[in-house]
Formats: sequence, C-alpha cells, structure tokens
Amino acid sequence: MKKIADKTVRWVLTASGFVTSVVILLIIGFLFTEGAGLFGEKVIEEGYVLAVNKDNPVRVLDAAQIKAVFDEDMTNWKEAGGPDLPIETFRLEDMDEYFTEEQLGPQYENAGTLITSLVASSPGMVAFVPESMIPDDARLVFIEDCNISPEEVFAGTEWYPTATPAPLFGILPLLAGTLWVSFFAILIALPFGISIAVYMSEVASERVRGFLKPVIELLNGIPSVVYGFFGLIIIVPLLQQVFGLPVGESGLAGSIVLAIMALPTIVTVADDAMRNCPGALREGSLALGATRWQTVARVVIPSSMSGIASGVVLGIGRAIGETMAVLMVTGNAAVVPHSILEPLRTIPATIAAELGEAPAGGAHYQSLFLLGVILFFITFFINLCVEYISSRNRAKNS
Amino acid sequence: MAIALFVICATAGAQRIKGSDTLLPLTQELAEEYLASHPDGDVVVTGGGTGVGISALLENTTDIAMASRRIKFGEKMKLASENLNAAEVIVAYDALAVVVNPSNPVDSLTREQLEAIFRGKITNWKDVGGEDRKIVVYSRETSSGTYEFFKESVLDNKNYMSGVLSMPATGAIIQSVRQTKGAIGYIGLAYLNRYVKPVAVSYDGGLSYAMPSVDAAADGSYPVVRPLYYYYNVEKEGEVGAFVSFALSDQGQASVLRQGFVPVNMEDSSSGEDMSL
Amino acid sequence: MAAPVFPKGYNIKKRRSQALAFGMFRILSISIVLILFAILGFIIYKGAGVLDWDFLTEAPSDGMTAGGIMPAIVGTLLLMAGSAAVAFPVGIMSGIYMNEYASKTGWTVRFIRLMTNNLSGVPSIVFGLFGMALFVKYLGFGDSILAGSLTLGLLSLPLVIRTTEEALKDIPDGIREGSLALGATRLQTIWKVVLPMGMPRIITGLILSLGRVSGETAPILFTCAAYFFPQLPTSVFDQCMALPYHLYVISTSGTDIEAQQPIAYGTALVLIIIVLIINILAGMLRKWFERRLKIK
Repeated sequence: MKKIADKTVRWVLTASGFVTSVVILLIIGFLFTEGAGLFGEKVIEEGYVLAVNKDNPVRVLDAAQIKAVFDEDMTNWKEAGGPDLPIETFRLEDMDEYFTEEQLGPQYENAGTLITSLVASSPGMVAFVPESMIPDDARLVFIEDCNISPEEVFAGTEWYPTATPAPLFGILPLLAGTLWVSFFAILIALPFGISIAVYMSEVASERVRGFLKPVIELLNGIPSVVYGFFGLIIIVPLLQQVFGLPVGESGLAGSIVLAIMALPTIVTVADDAMRNCPGALREGSLALGATRWQTVARVVIPSSMSGIASGVVLGIGRAIGETMAVLMVTGNAAVVPHSILEPLRTIPATIAAELGEAPAGGAHYQSLFLLGVILFFITFFINLCVEYISSRNRAKNS
Repeated sequence: MAIALFVICATAGAQRIKGSDTLLPLTQELAEEYLASHPDGDVVVTGGGTGVGISALLENTTDIAMASRRIKFGEKMKLASENLNAAEVIVAYDALAVVVNPSNPVDSLTREQLEAIFRGKITNWKDVGGEDRKIVVYSRETSSGTYEFFKESVLDNKNYMSGVLSMPATGAIIQSVRQTKGAIGYIGLAYLNRYVKPVAVSYDGGLSYAMPSVDAAADGSYPVVRPLYYYYNVEKEGEVGAFVSFALSDQGQASVLRQGFVPVNMEDSSSGEDMSL
Repeated sequence: MAAPVFPKGYNIKKRRSQALAFGMFRILSISIVLILFAILGFIIYKGAGVLDWDFLTEAPSDGMTAGGIMPAIVGTLLLMAGSAAVAFPVGIMSGIYMNEYASKTGWTVRFIRLMTNNLSGVPSIVFGLFGMALFVKYLGFGDSILAGSLTLGLLSLPLVIRTTEEALKDIPDGIREGSLALGATRLQTIWKVVLPMGMPRIITGLILSLGRVSGETAPILFTCAAYFFPQLPTSVFDQCMALPYHLYVISTSGTDIEAQQPIAYGTALVLIIIVLIINILAGMLRKWFERRLKIK
C-alpha cells in the first residue's frame, strides 16, 4: 500500500516536472499554427477581386504595387510592366461618382453589371470589388491573387496590416525597432547595473546593502503600466526639451524606461555572481597589497564575468519582451529607425495594440501571431545564450 | 460536452458587452444608468476593440458587440457560416475632430491639406499658413475603427505615411498633442478638451469651413461623422433587447448627448428620415 | 635583492583611484534610489489625495470619473489567488521532483531546467497570445477569471519552481539520509523533514511571485480583463476588472481625462501599495520562519 502511494506520488511529481516543457511545446504549437497560416492567405482582401479591362496585359501585381496604385503613387501602367496608359482606380465608395441612385436600383442590385461595363469600357481602370458582385458572364480579367510570400513578410519594410485592397506585412521596421530600443536600453542600464552590483557586493556596509536590496526588488515589482505612465508624463516631455526634438515619443524614451526596468535583473544576477566569487581569490589579491578597488577591478569582476554576462543577457530578454511601458512612450511609428531619437515601433507593442481590432482568423490576426513566434524565438535564443554562458561558468568553477 | 457546459455556464451569467474602445465610455455610462433603473440586471463592459467584439459575438463569448466600424465582409461571411444572424443597431454618431497644439496659429484646413499632411506630402506648418515648424502627425492604432474611418473619409482611402506616430488610445493622442508644439491628430468629439485646439475643416476646397460640434455634426455641416454600432445575435433579442432599447430610449440618448456624441434621433431628423421612438 | 621601489605617492594614487571609483559607484547607486523615490513620490503626491475609504470600497461611477476602484482591487486579488491555485501546487511538486527524485546530472533535469528557464524568459505578451489561443478560444473558457488565472499561473510557474528548487537545494543531504536511515520512506522524508525545512524560503518566493502577477497587464488584456463590471464576479467564468488594466485604460482612453487623472494616480498608488505590502510580508515571514527554525 505504501509502495503504491510512493509510486503514485513519484509519478505525479514527475508529471509536474514536465509541465513547463509541455507549456513551451503548446506555446510553440499554438502560436506557430496561427502564425504560419499567414502564408496561406491571399494578398488581396478576402472576398474581393481586382478587376481590369481584358485588353490590359498586366496580370500580376505584388502587394506593394497594389498599395502604390491605390494610393495614387503609381499612376501609369507602364510602371507595372504594362502599356503606357494612365491608371484609374475604382472602389465601391466611388460608386456615386459614376452612377446615379436610379441606375443602381434601390438595393444596388444593378451595381455588379454597371461596374463590369464600366471596367470593360475604360482600358486603364482597375476596380476593387467583392467577387460576389461580378456576374459570372462578365468579360473581365482579374489580377492574379497569389499567397502572401515569406520574402514580403521577412524582408518587407512596410507595415500596413489594414491597407486595402492588399495589406503589407513587412516586419523589418518592427524587428529593427525592437532590437534598437533594447540595445540602447542595455547600453544605458549596463554601467548603472554593474556599478550598483559592485557597490552592493563589495563596497557597501551590510546596513546599506540591507537597504538597497529591497529598493532594487521594489523597482522590479512596480508594474510596467506605472513605468509607462511615468514615462509618458515625465520622461517624454523632458527629452523633448533637453534635445529640442519636434516629438518626444522616441526610441530613447523607451530605452530609458526599459533600462530602469531591466536594471533590477542585471543588478541581482551580477551581485549574486560577485558574491559567489571565492573569498580566497579576494584575500590573495588583498594580501599582495592591492587596494580593494584593484581587487574588484582586476580579480572579482573578471572572475565573475560570465555571471555578469548572463545577467546582462537576461536584462536584454526582459527589455525585448516588455510591452505596456514601451507601447505608451515610443510613439509606435512603423519605420526603420535611423536614430534613437526617432519614434519607433516594437513587436510586443504591435501585438498588444493591434490584436484587439484584428478580425479573428484573418491575415492580420495571423501576422500578429507570427510576430509572437518571432518574439518567442528571440527570447528563446537569448535564454540559450544564458544557459551556455552559465554552463561554461560552472565548468570553469568546478 | 465539457466545452458546451462551459458555454452554458458563461451565458447564464451577466449580460456581456464587448468591443470598440471608442464606445467604451459611452456604453459604460449607459450600463451604469441601466443598472440604476434595473437593479437586478447584470452588465459587464469590456474593451479590446471592434475585431475582438465581433469575434466574441461569433464565439458566443459576448452578447452585444460594440463596433466603431461596419462589420467587414470576411466577418460577415464567418457569422453566416455559423448560421448566426447579427442585428445591427446604430446607437450614436461620432464626429472626429482634427486637433492641434493650442499654440499653433493654424485654425482651419481643407480636406486636401489634411490628406497631404497625413500622407506625408506636406511636412511643415508653413505650407498651410502656419509657423516654420515640422508637422508631427499622430494617429490612432492601425487597426482601430477610428483610424479606418479617418482614412476613408479624410484620406480618400489612401494610406497614411509610414512615419505616422500611432497611439494606443485617444487619451494618449491628447496627452501628446498637448505637449508637442507641431502636433496634429484626430480624436472623437467627445474627447475634446481645453488642452488641444480643434481646427475647422472644409470638404469643398475651402469655400466653407465648419468647426466640430454636436450641432454641426447633426445638421450635416460638419463632414467627418461616422455611425457607431451595436451588433447582437437576433436569437438573443429577448436577453439583450432591454439594454439596447434602453440605449435608444430618450434617457439613453440624452446620455449619448451628454457624453459628447451625436444622438441617433438628432441625426435622423436632420436627414429627413424621422424615426420617432 | 632589493624590495621593489614604488615611486613616491603611489599609495596615494592608488587610494585616490579607489576613492574615485567607489565614489562613482556610490553616486550611481544613490541615483537609482532617487529614481525609485521620484517615481514613488510622484505617484504618492498625485494619488494620495483621492485615496480614502470610499475609493477603496466603491465601484466606479459617473463614467469612471468618480467613485472608487473596489471591483478592480477584488479582481486583482482574485487573479492572484487563481494564479496561485494553478502555479503553487504544480510548481512546488515540480521543484520537489527536480531536487529530490530526478538524478541531478541526468538529461531530464537539464532538459526541464532549460525549459523552465526558457519559459521564464517568454515575454508576457506572448503568454497573452497563448492564453487567448488556448484557454479563451480552443478550450472555450471565454474571457474569464479562469482563463486569466491559468495564463498568469503559467507565467509565474518558472519562478515558483526555481524558488522551491533553490530552497530545497540548501538543505544538507545528511538530514535526508538521517531520516531515511531511521526507516522513513522517501515520501515521508520529503513531507515531514525536507518540506518543513524548506518552507520559509518557499513561502517567501511564492509571495514574491504573487507580486509579479498582481502587476501584469499584457497577459490579461485578451484573456480576462473587463473595463467595467461593477458587480463582483460570481463564478470563475465571469470576467473581472483588474488594477493594472484599469490604470492602463483610464490613463489612456477616458473621455474626461482631467477628472480621471487623479483616479489613475490613485489606482497606481494602490497597485504599488499592494506590491509593497507583498514585499514587506515576504520579508517578515522569512524572518519569522528563520527565528522559529532556530528555536527548534
């Protein structure tokens, strides 16, 4: 009886040991199936077609070209490899410019035929209309609707997830924004973090340490929304004045907020690493006549380097994944940033801000899950780095 | 089976309203008044966005979906494939005000100028009669109904420039326009306060300008006005009917007006289709 | 052989550079304390005015411009309790498995530890996405306290596991061996000897993980949070309001920002006070347990 109980307990404990692994697999599974669905979606909005005159030889337009055409940035078919013919665009909203109420009929039942004949009679026109509106016998040709391609997504520099007729899902600006803002956050947090860790572990008295430690913990405990709120009201206007910027919401504001948020992680891990530095090393150095500072700089820091490094990498991980604070202070402009003083947009902020409005199951929704996958793998990679650094550290110490 | 049971448990609870953030404050106030007059009622109001609201309607995790845009073609198809017949009710109209920093001398803009500014073709205030200062363009998030409506109405369906700063919520736009000298943004009329300056807008090439106001929106002289919707499952009429008809009642619409939105009946009577309740 | 000759003033130079370096460290540390106090002070200064009994015990009213935040406080406490119910048993058992059952050098432990560390690095917004896909949609829980608690529970799981593991690791093997030698089974040893000894540190770790949960917004954004739900939730399938989400919403999207600003500060203050109480509580518990253990 006792044995059975022991066995059951053992089994339950083993099972719970694997819960985290299962969760990771589930995360990958769910995010991936949703995210990968993006590449099965069509470029042109669901249920719609782009109809052109049958004499128009252009059959293929990519999403960026479609956007340019409908934004009237591309105005001649020869730019898309067609004849020298001005492009005219037609959307359903333009209906009343071409037809009268009587022509359309009370329920717009004539709309399909009218649009068909309009496109058939104007050689340079491209019409964005619901597929169901076009009668079967219409003598029109449609622009070929291909699947969203990975190049467009991973190498695209334009993020227009809600553009019609064809949304653009170029993730480069978001990726660049995320890495850029995290990089500067670490650049700011690093000197502070290491100094504080050194001060706490090597210089401060036990009493000062006893005061600093909870302060750092508390800094870690303040909710990110509070940081965002603080950043928006204090840091953003401050930066605007100090740097004379036209706009205060910038990567730098995000980096500063993130630096404060990543600091506790760096300090805690680096502090632990330095305190674990063997006493004999320290005493040896002091016995040779080195000052405490020399000991710290030449002995303690180098010997705890890998601990410090893993603290820094963990801090980067924290900064990359941070959502709410960044959402409130970086301005969220989806452009590839050229300087840290410009507004930029990060992946987590994009997910948090857009998931709510994206129609469930559509291309936009899936693209946000794809961003989730990318974010997951970035942090996964970072954690593997930490693991590698600390395992090297263990090997060295033993 | 278990899932079905969960759904039953869930629907037996409160009356759930979910969706557009634009409609949140209004619906929240309506819910508050509704609860005051129906003490045994039970209402939960959740934001998240129009898309969330409509997909929640589809999954039966909400009873009423609030929408600041009309339901999309793809969404309609999904509802149809689930045999779900959604009723559409316009609860209020919302005028969008274009706002600038109070220190900005510019006080009127044409639609064409606005289009050029939001598309990044005009980048300095001096080109539209202001000071020599860079224009900082604030917009709502790409996916909000407000963003799409502004795009449809003001940008003539063209896309915003990619460098536009998008803010997660209207409050953030106000905060930013208030502290940025060269800023321009757009907000719902209901949100207008003394920290930002609305500009008059012309849709006829500068012949006539109109300042945003409830009256101007109701009589049609202010052009940037959009309807706000509730969607609900027709089969659930009995459960949600009380709240919806409260929202459309005189008391509900008075609350709409108080919140700075344009009441439905006001808009209707001006356009000649009087639907007296 | 002559002793090395130091140039004159070498010692003074050494001391000077030490004083300079340590002085700088001290200044940087003080500046961090100042930043913390600036944030706290700013929020206390702005938020203390609205903080009174009614604010804590009433539902919001007048379109969120008056009244209190009671439902949000209750919601946050419920979510904390819910996530604890998910994370604590699983996390503690997992920690016990890692330290007491699995062989310490085997691949299972290394694999689990790697996965646990990875899970702790997953950004909270990804947990939000995942929670929405699995609990809200796939399992059909809808936006509910259940879905929110499960998501938050998974989020805090790695922290709980790690705390348990660390706490048990510090217990000398001699104690376990002694118990086993007296004829106790492994289970008895863990239940009667190891766990009670590890409890102080486990409990403080658990409390700190609650602190993290209380401030999270992104995971509940799409799984649980309600904007307005003045009644208290009656079942785990109800949604609830929560402090961090409430703060996010009213500081960014109210129609009457002027009237809502004080409430936003007040909410932030309450949230920080909760975190503060949790931290202090954890510290006190640690001390109390340590004392009790010593007396024994």
